[in-house]
Amino acid sequence: MSSTDWLVIAGGIAAIGWVNWYFFFASRRSGAGRK
Amino acid sequence: MARQLSVIDDTKVPPAALPAPPVPGERTVRIPVSGMTCAACQARVQRTLQRQPGVVDAGVNLMMHDATVRYTPDVVSPEQLVAAIRDTGYGAELPPAVEDAFAEQEARDRSQAEEFAQLKRKAIVSGVIGALAMVAPMALMPIVPHGVVNGVLLALTVSVMLWAGRHFYTRAWAAFRHHSADMNTLIAVGTGAAFVYSLIATLAPGFFLSRGVAPDVYYEAVIVIIALILTGNAFEARAKAATSAALRALAGLQPTSARVVRGDQELDVPMADVRRGDVIVVRPGERLPTDGEVLDGESAVDESMLTGESAPVPKAAGARVIGGTINRTGALRYRATTLGADSVLAQIVRLMRDAQGSRAPIQNLADRISGVFVPVVVSIAIATFVIWFVAGDVAGLQAPAVRAFAAAVAVLIIACPCAMGLAVPTAVMVATGRGAEAGVLIKGGEALQRAGAVDTVVVDKTGTVTEGRPTVTDVVAAPGSTRTTDDLLALVASLESSSEHPLADAIVRRAREAGLPLARAERFQSVTGRGAVATVSGHEVLAGNEALLAERGIVATPLRDAAERLAGEAKTPVYVAIDGTLAGLLAVADPIKPTSHEAIVALRERGIDVVMLTGDTRHTADAIAREAGIERVVAGVLPEGKVAEIRRLQHAGHVVAMVGDGVNDSAAIAQSDVGIAIGTGTDIAAEAADVVLMRGDLRSVVQAIALSRRTMRTMKQNLFWAFVYNVVGIPVAAGVLYPAFGWLLSPVIASAAMAFSSVSVVTNSLRLRRARLA
Repeated sequence: MSSTDWLVIAGGIAAIGWVNWYFFFASRRSGAGRK
Repeated sequence: MARQLSVIDDTKVPPAALPAPPVPGERTVRIPVSGMTCAACQARVQRTLQRQPGVVDAGVNLMMHDATVRYTPDVVSPEQLVAAIRDTGYGAELPPAVEDAFAEQEARDRSQAEEFAQLKRKAIVSGVIGALAMVAPMALMPIVPHGVVNGVLLALTVSVMLWAGRHFYTRAWAAFRHHSADMNTLIAVGTGAAFVYSLIATLAPGFFLSRGVAPDVYYEAVIVIIALILTGNAFEARAKAATSAALRALAGLQPTSARVVRGDQELDVPMADVRRGDVIVVRPGERLPTDGEVLDGESAVDESMLTGESAPVPKAAGARVIGGTINRTGALRYRATTLGADSVLAQIVRLMRDAQGSRAPIQNLADRISGVFVPVVVSIAIATFVIWFVAGDVAGLQAPAVRAFAAAVAVLIIACPCAMGLAVPTAVMVATGRGAEAGVLIKGGEALQRAGAVDTVVVDKTGTVTEGRPTVTDVVAAPGSTRTTDDLLALVASLESSSEHPLADAIVRRAREAGLPLARAERFQSVTGRGAVATVSGHEVLAGNEALLAERGIVATPLRDAAERLAGEAKTPVYVAIDGTLAGLLAVADPIKPTSHEAIVALRERGIDVVMLTGDTRHTADAIAREAGIERVVAGVLPEGKVAEIRRLQHAGHVVAMVGDGVNDSAAIAQSDVGIAIGTGTDIAAEAADVVLMRGDLRSVVQAIALSRRTMRTMKQNLFWAFVYNVVGIPVAAGVLYPAFGWLLSPVIASAAMAFSSVSVVTNSLRLRRARLA
């Protein structure tokens, strides 16, 4: 596997992590803050 | 979308409309919301409203496109609620108050028609542009430079995205800002990614060429995806409008004017100017404009549109008529009794509107999945890109980035949370409408779902199994009594003229028919479930059952044999005592309805146990039960006893429906799992029942249960197909079939499949309109 492949894998994992954090965890925190 | 707002007087809202009984100081507002397309949109608006300070409860209705909010006016205003909704990216406005259910329905129809017309226009225009974008480049390529063709395509794509698809992006952005995601997010990310890729290929083709990848563009895919999704939305809008056809038909029954007698003249007066007490004239073939009581004339009135009863009902002086029904044979003059929001038709329309928008518990599963659906799909799309890219690179495939990109976009586009969001509400909507057509008013999705699970139907005797209009059949004087039977009847009728019991009515009627003079009853006292006592012409007159006599120390023995014989003939014996001495016995019979036996057989054929509860004696009850085909009878029970019996059945694990008249049986109806009231036609909304039968016919109970079972089947089919569609569609779009078969789904095909899934769910629900109910 080339370095580009590793870069894409790392980027993909980071993107999935961010999507799940943003929609599931960050929303809960902001919801709790507003309450 | 036309928008109106109505601040509702809590006292006029049927209990089913609100999440909990209104509390003094709180108000309820219904705000039309535009732009919601799926369960995720609905959940987002609902969550936002619930988080507002001063909001006690909020419910958002995807099908009716409105939000019902209970709030404390000191803390929050309707304007602030509207602003909060708008902040989520959906439309809401604060127009003048509209309280009329008919006007509200008209406004909703207008907005639905407008929404459909707009979607259709956008779908057609973008479809034509999409087709041109697919064909023209191939034709023009030999004569026009590549860069110019791409430039024109870029301009067309931007135009379609900004004009036809703008709302996908604005709503997706509004959702994103609130850490939320819905169908618009998937479309926006999918088409947005294809657009950005194509834009780079147009502006910097060298970037791709230097990496050995052709600078292909996907402009036509972006346009066609938008066109197909808009086409699906347009079909969906039309089908959704069809689901409320029954409600629209009901609202359309209200005439716009009435012929009112003013002085010596008959004037055509707009409905808004008709007052309670006005005398109204209707000719044969005309629709009755309001509810009322007939003053003179004889006719037959077609009430089928409200009760489902096909035979016209005879009407003469004193009869009650309902607005919206059709006068068939003769002219009638009647006095208007209820108007506007209080009329039976307005109550039905309001009840239907609230029922159609209510939730069925089975929807919770779909909602839970919709809530996490979009982020999960976006994650799958990212994973698809990574796997395709790396696997393609390792396997030495040409342009792995392009394939990876196409597969990821296809995953985003094919995933469809809208089919899941529509699976249950569309079925609730069509089923409640279908029920209303048959005279079965189901007050909400929850009742609809519970009715399907009923395994025991408890029926009240009087007025439910029987006609509820008893007549006096025998008058027997006690042995040794010096009073004539007429004397006896006159005294008892005088006593009963103060009572509201159906048996009392029969006795008074019989005395009047016989021309007997009635005296005034003093110190009248009703003893629930036993009888009544009063002083008539200086005598203490008591009429009731044996328990009442025993309570007063009066021996019933001399007439017990006669009473038992009469009870064996399905007649109700009423003992009479005068001045503490047994004086005689009256027998009152209430014949069973001709349809009761058929209905009970039909219930038993469906595996449902039927139990009859009555305050009557064992003998009378058994005789009626035999005639009606009922095997289990609980006789001699007071209203509390009925509640206890239902509780006992529930503890034994049965799901119990109680069928009664809604007034005397309200406690038992409230205790049961599904309360079914035989509507008196006056105060439908206020009754505690989950289901109101507009026609006093037990066959409607069979229809209600059949409809509920059929609806549950439809809901489960819808949910199954919505889930299967996504479970199969997403992996196929991701390319799981590529290694074995070389199949890869193009984003354009994915968008067509996505549009089809929602339409198929709504179409399946619409089949309920033709459901046979018996």
